[in-house]
Amino acid sequence: MHYIVALAAILIMIFLPRVGLLSIYKSYRAAKEREQVEDALKHLLDRENQGRHASPESLSGTLNIPRAEVTRLIENMEEQGLLESRGTELHLTASGERWALHVLRAHRLWERYLADEARMPLNKIHDEAQKREHSLTEAQLNELDAALGYPTRDPHGDPIPSREGKMNRAEGMPITAWQAEGPARIVHLEDEPVIAYEQILAAGLRLGQDIRIIEKNQNRYVLSDGESEYKLAPAVASNVYVTALPESEMLKREAMPLAELAQDQRAQIVMLDDSVQGFTRRRFLDLGLTPGTTIYPELGNFFGEPRAYRVRGTSIALRNDQASQIWVKPV
Amino acid sequence: MSNTTITPHDIIAKAESLRNNLSTGFRDEIVKSIYSEAEKVAQRAVKTASNKKYDFDQKIDRLVTSPWTGLPIMLLLLGIIIWLTVSGANVASNAIAVVLFGLGDLGRNLFNQIGLPWWLTGFIWDGVYLGLAWVISVMLPPMAIFFPAFTFLEDLGYLPRVAFNLDWMFKKTGAHGKQSLTMAMGFGCNAAGVIATRVIDSPRERLIAILTNNFVPCNGRFPTLIMLATVFVASAFPAALTSFVAAGTVVGVVLIGVAFTFLMSWLLSRTVLKGEASAFTLELPPYRKPNFGRILYTSIIDRTIFVLWRAMQTAAPAGAIIWILANIPFGDANLARAIADWLNPFGLLLGLDGVILLAYIIAIPANEIVVPTMMMVYMGAGMMVNGPGTSAGIFDLLVNGNGWTMLTAINLMLFALLHNPCATTIMTIYKETKSWKWATVSVVITLGLAFLVTFLTASIARLFGWV
Repeated sequence: MHYIVALAAILIMIFLPRVGLLSIYKSYRAAKEREQVEDALKHLLDRENQGRHASPESLSGTLNIPRAEVTRLIENMEEQGLLESRGTELHLTASGERWALHVLRAHRLWERYLADEARMPLNKIHDEAQKREHSLTEAQLNELDAALGYPTRDPHGDPIPSREGKMNRAEGMPITAWQAEGPARIVHLEDEPVIAYEQILAAGLRLGQDIRIIEKNQNRYVLSDGESEYKLAPAVASNVYVTALPESEMLKREAMPLAELAQDQRAQIVMLDDSVQGFTRRRFLDLGLTPGTTIYPELGNFFGEPRAYRVRGTSIALRNDQASQIWVKPV
Repeated sequence: MSNTTITPHDIIAKAESLRNNLSTGFRDEIVKSIYSEAEKVAQRAVKTASNKKYDFDQKIDRLVTSPWTGLPIMLLLLGIIIWLTVSGANVASNAIAVVLFGLGDLGRNLFNQIGLPWWLTGFIWDGVYLGLAWVISVMLPPMAIFFPAFTFLEDLGYLPRVAFNLDWMFKKTGAHGKQSLTMAMGFGCNAAGVIATRVIDSPRERLIAILTNNFVPCNGRFPTLIMLATVFVASAFPAALTSFVAAGTVVGVVLIGVAFTFLMSWLLSRTVLKGEASAFTLELPPYRKPNFGRILYTSIIDRTIFVLWRAMQTAAPAGAIIWILANIPFGDANLARAIADWLNPFGLLLGLDGVILLAYIIAIPANEIVVPTMMMVYMGAGMMVNGPGTSAGIFDLLVNGNGWTMLTAINLMLFALLHNPCATTIMTIYKETKSWKWATVSVVITLGLAFLVTFLTASIARLFGWV
């Protein structure tokens, strides 16, 4: 009799809907599977943004799972209409891309939130966002987006897809069409034709580099990033796309961090650094540290920091970490 | 175009498309325009006559935050406040004790003459009343001096300068500079200090401030420290120096507490509360002329009476409990003695004794009643020779009557400094963190540290044969 009761209890514990062990295990499996699909989608999207295509090998490497399992995953995703395999290349379908953009958006919005509002150190936010990106619905994501003030870039400077799934990608122009004097930032390296692309990479140019043209004629372009020089044939150079540096970058060149200002040296605030976002930026602005304000270090400290700065008739103490994020111009 | 109607949807769509054209700095621009508008208004309305006030403030600021005078001034002010408290409280405490204990004798005699049963007389006058009398005579004078003096500094605008001077140390330990403000609050009451941590925005640094606030001796524990410093440390010095030595000792204990605050903050931010120091901004307000009427009102009514009332609410039942425990026969003696004897081996291991531990258990609701509880249990064994409340009387009772040594006094000071927060503070930690886990952690680390430190000092003292 006792055995039967015990057995019944065990069976109930296992098979009870929703709270039973079996259904807990099932939902755990489903969540794991969904995570794997989403990670695969992100990888495919990442490759396509680079102008390449993912392969079963690259997928196996990125997700860190054996090939046999990758094959099963690909079949599964094909059935769901998320991807098409053409030979060894994996292509996202329209619905696959939509889902992938949703996950990417979740990841980058989470990063923004963790960096700005939770004020987590920048080197920790990626892993934390990786964990959280799978759990939000579209509506929750829109709410998070609104609460953060519709940011366009994540803390690493990568664009955040909009709710319509559009990526605000920097367009840029071929460097051969670049007329302005100042430096320009590389935003895109065209990978067709492959020969030109390989020459660009061999020369050592990379995305995000700030360069200026120091020589151009029919035979060659000479570019410099201030340290090394890069020589390219004009036909090859036309595959390097550049855009003007962000405004803040230009302002920064003529300014100095507040932390380096000498005692009692008056200065004008030029801008707050782009890396200061969310909570800290709001706090700075609330204290009246707006561009154009006059400020000067008023009190030093035995130990170097914090220093007190006089701004708008009040004394505000800042640690050097914070004062380095405020760019000023001595007056 | 009157036939095209604009729907809310159109407006949202338009805003949506325009949003992408906004430069990233548009928020800054909005705040900037608000500020420039405010500036215009201020310029129209406010006239500045002279810079005298500012120059004077500047001079003081340079002095109190300067490399060479900043820290000494801070220590000096702390020393002055504590010296005022110690020297003033001693006289007043004795006077109040004489009056209140005299009244107790009268009451007891009256009850006896009417012929009321012995247990009622004992319960009322030797239990409840004695507890209250002790708490009032031990606590009221130091509070009535300490709180106004402290509120004076607060009102002056000096406290933010302390935070300014000490921030580098908090940064090194991974904590927030405003933690020194919450510690200052803790001198009054640790529960108030825990609530004051709301000024720290970073959750990690706020938790550090909450968990370490208890290492600042609150007003409920000051009387214990003052009594021990006066009775034990200062008694070895000439009478003229007594108050200075006692004040110096209390300052020393406070500094030990500050050292433990830094140590524990450092440990926490490297283990369970790992993380980087977050943004720190602190406003240094201009100095204000203190408003003495307001100081007296807030410090006496809001703080002193409030804290004293709370202490009395726990002292009355505690007095009753002790009287009951002391009058239930158990073996050769009574229940209080039996429990104290049972706790004694562990107490001795820590350089304390069983009665002290019993007092701390009964005093969990409020630290203020530790000394009164201890005295009442000790007095159960024999009346004071020199009369209650005087230094000589207490010394006599503790050393000659109950085998105290210098080690007992020092370890009790350390234990009073480090031991677990009172029940009110624990409840406040729970309310502020919404987590029993952190409330438990706050008890475990403080009590653990108190046991560890007193055990070490006792062992070292015994090893070298000092006791």
